[in-house]
Amino acid sequence: MSIINRLAYKDFLVIMRDRAGLAMLFIMPMALVMIMTSLQNNTFKAINESGINLIILNNDTDSLGTAIEGEIVRSNFFRVHRTIDKKKPTESMVREAVASGSYQIGIVIPADATRRIRQRVQENVSNIFSGDTTAAHKIKATDSLFIMLYVDPATKNSLRTTLQGSIREYSSKVESRIVLNELTKEISGKMMIDIPNLNIIKQETVFYREEYVARGNRTIIPNAVQHNVPAWTLFAMFFIVIPFASSMIREREDGSLSRLLTMPCSYTEIMLSKVIVYLVICMLQFSLIMLMGIYLFPIIGLPALSIHGRILSLSVMAMAAAMAAIGYGIAVGTIAKTHQQAAIFASISVVILAAIGGIWVPVFVMPPLLREISVASPLNWGLNGFYDILVRNASFSDVFPYGIWLLLFSAVCLLMAAYYHKISREFV
Amino acid sequence: MKEEAIIHIQNLTKYYRHCNKPAINNISIDLPKGRIFGLLGPNGAGKTTMIRILCGLLHPTGGEVTIGGYSLKNEWKEIRKIIGVVPQEIALYPTLTARENLLVYGGICGLRGSNLKKRIDKWLDIFGLEKNRNQQVGKYSGGMKRRLNLIVGIIHDPEILFLDEPTVGVDVHSKNVIIENLFTINNKGTTIVYTSHYLEEAENLCSHIAIIDEGNIIIRGTLEEIRGANKPDSKLEDIFLELTGRALRD
Repeated sequence: MSIINRLAYKDFLVIMRDRAGLAMLFIMPMALVMIMTSLQNNTFKAINESGINLIILNNDTDSLGTAIEGEIVRSNFFRVHRTIDKKKPTESMVREAVASGSYQIGIVIPADATRRIRQRVQENVSNIFSGDTTAAHKIKATDSLFIMLYVDPATKNSLRTTLQGSIREYSSKVESRIVLNELTKEISGKMMIDIPNLNIIKQETVFYREEYVARGNRTIIPNAVQHNVPAWTLFAMFFIVIPFASSMIREREDGSLSRLLTMPCSYTEIMLSKVIVYLVICMLQFSLIMLMGIYLFPIIGLPALSIHGRILSLSVMAMAAAMAAIGYGIAVGTIAKTHQQAAIFASISVVILAAIGGIWVPVFVMPPLLREISVASPLNWGLNGFYDILVRNASFSDVFPYGIWLLLFSAVCLLMAAYYHKISREFV
Repeated sequence: MKEEAIIHIQNLTKYYRHCNKPAINNISIDLPKGRIFGLLGPNGAGKTTMIRILCGLLHPTGGEVTIGGYSLKNEWKEIRKIIGVVPQEIALYPTLTARENLLVYGGICGLRGSNLKKRIDKWLDIFGLEKNRNQQVGKYSGGMKRRLNLIVGIIHDPEILFLDEPTVGVDVHSKNVIIENLFTINNKGTTIVYTSHYLEEAENLCSHIAIIDEGNIIIRGTLEEIRGANKPDSKLEDIFLELTGRALRD
C-alpha cells in the first residue's frame, strides 16, 4: 500500500504543479457547463418570452384575420409587429423584410378572406339543402384561400410547423363557426322556426392536462439546468482522457515509467495510483459542478440545480462514469505512441461518443441507425443514469445497471491496456 | 582464480519483431561481483538491448539470466530489490523538486522516514545539490539533472547498479563528481554495469570490459587482458576501432 501511496503522492504533485492542466481539469469544465446551460436556458426563454420577431399583414379585418392575429398575440411565442417603419406594409415588403432577416416570420392574410370562406360555405350549404350533394366537392382551385407564411431560412423547422398547425387550427375554427352559422340560418328558414345559433365551437369539450411524470410521488419540473448540467458534466469528465493519456505518454517518453518498472513496483501499482488520483480529481470536478449548479446558478439568473437529496446515487454514478473515463484514458495512453496521437484520438473519440451518446441532441431525435449505435456509448449509459436520478426520480437500484456497464467498460479498457503493455515488452 | 559472478548470462538471444537479424546473438557471459563492468560497442551493437533485458524492461527471445542468484524469468520481483538503474534519459519529474523526486523514488525502493531523509540529505550534499533541494528539477542545468538522475539510482544502496551513458552531455566538473562517486560506491561493494560511448572514461572507470558488436561479444576480460590480446600499449579506442572496424554505424 505504501508504494501506491508514494506513486499517488507523485501523481498528485505532478498534477498540482501543472497549472494549465489544472485549468483544463477544473475551470474549463465548469465554464463549459455554465456556458452550455446558459445558452440552452436562453434559447428556451427566447421562445417563451416573445423572442421571435413576426410581422403580420392582416388584410382581412374580419373573423379569420382577427382570430389568427389574436391567437398569435396571445400565444406569447412572438414579438408581433404590424408595421414596418411605422407604415402598414405591402405583401412584397413583408417578403423582403423576412428575406433580409429583420423578421423571422411573416404572415399575410389576404383581403376578404373571411368573406370568401363565408361565400363558399353559403353556396355549399344552400346547394346541399337544395339536394345537390356533389356541389361541396366542386371547389375550383382558384377558390382556394392562401394565407402566406414567409419564413426566414434560419428559423427552426419545428417553429414553422407549430405555427402552420396553429394557423390551420384557427382557420378551421373560423370556418366551422361560419358553417354552423349558415346551417343555423338554413335550418331556421326551412323549419320556419327561430332556433338559437348552433355556434357551439366556443365551448371546448376536449381539454389537455400536462404532467411531468417521475417515479414516486415527487413532481420534477425539467428545465435547462436539470438537463444540461449532468450532460456536460459527463462530457467534461470524459475529457480527462486527454491530460491522463498525455501524462502517461510523458512518463513513457522521459524514461520515468521504465525507471519505475525497474523498481520494486508493478505496472498494476503504477496504474492503480493514477486511477486513485484521477478518480479523486473527477469526483472533485463533479462536486464543484454540482455545487455551482445548486448555489451559483440562481445567483446568475439560472434555475437552481435540484438533486433531491440523491447525493449517494449521484456520487455512485459519477464514480462509475469517472472509472469509465479513467479506464479509457489508460487504454489511450498505453496504446498511443505519441502525444499528438493521444490528444487527437482522445478528443475526437470523446466528441463522437458524446454525440452518439445523446449529450448534444437527445437520442430519440436521432436517425434510427444512430439510435441503435447510441447504446454502445458509455456517455449514453452515464447520461441515462444521471437523468434517471435528476429528472425521473429513480432510486439507486434503478440506475445500478448503468453503473455496472460503466464499470465493465472501464475493466475492458484496463485489461486492454495491461495486455498491450505485456505484449509490448514481450514481442517488440 | 575465477571471480564470483553476480550476473550469469547463458545463451541470451533477442530477436526484434520483423527483424531476421538478432540484436543479441546467443551471448554467454559472467559479470564479476564487486567490479565495474563496461559494456561497450558502436551504435546498434546491442548494448541497450542487453541492459534493458537485464533490467527487466524487455523479454529475451531465449537464454537464461540470473542476477544476484535470482532467475530473471521467475524471480524478477526479488531482482528489482537489489538493482539500481540510471537510464540515459533524465528520468525525473521536472515539476517536482529534487527532494520530492527522491522521496518518491526512494519510497518506492522501500526506504522510509528518517532513514530516507538522511540518505536524501547525504547524497544531495555529496553531489552538490543541497542548495537546490527545493528547486523544481525542470529548472536545473543539464549537469545537475545528470547528478540527480544518478542519485535516484543509488539512493537505496543497490547491490548492482546499471548505468546507461551516465555522463552524456555533462560538463567536466559534473562528470568528475559522477566518476569519483561511482568509484566510492563500487568500493563499498556495489557491482556496476556501465555502458558508454566515451571509451577514455570507460578505460579509467572499468576493471572489466566486453566489446559487443552486431549482437556478439567480440572481446571480453580485464583491461590488461584485452590490451594483452591486442597491442599492449594501445589505447582502448584504438583496440575498439580495430575490432569493430571504421565503417560508420547508424
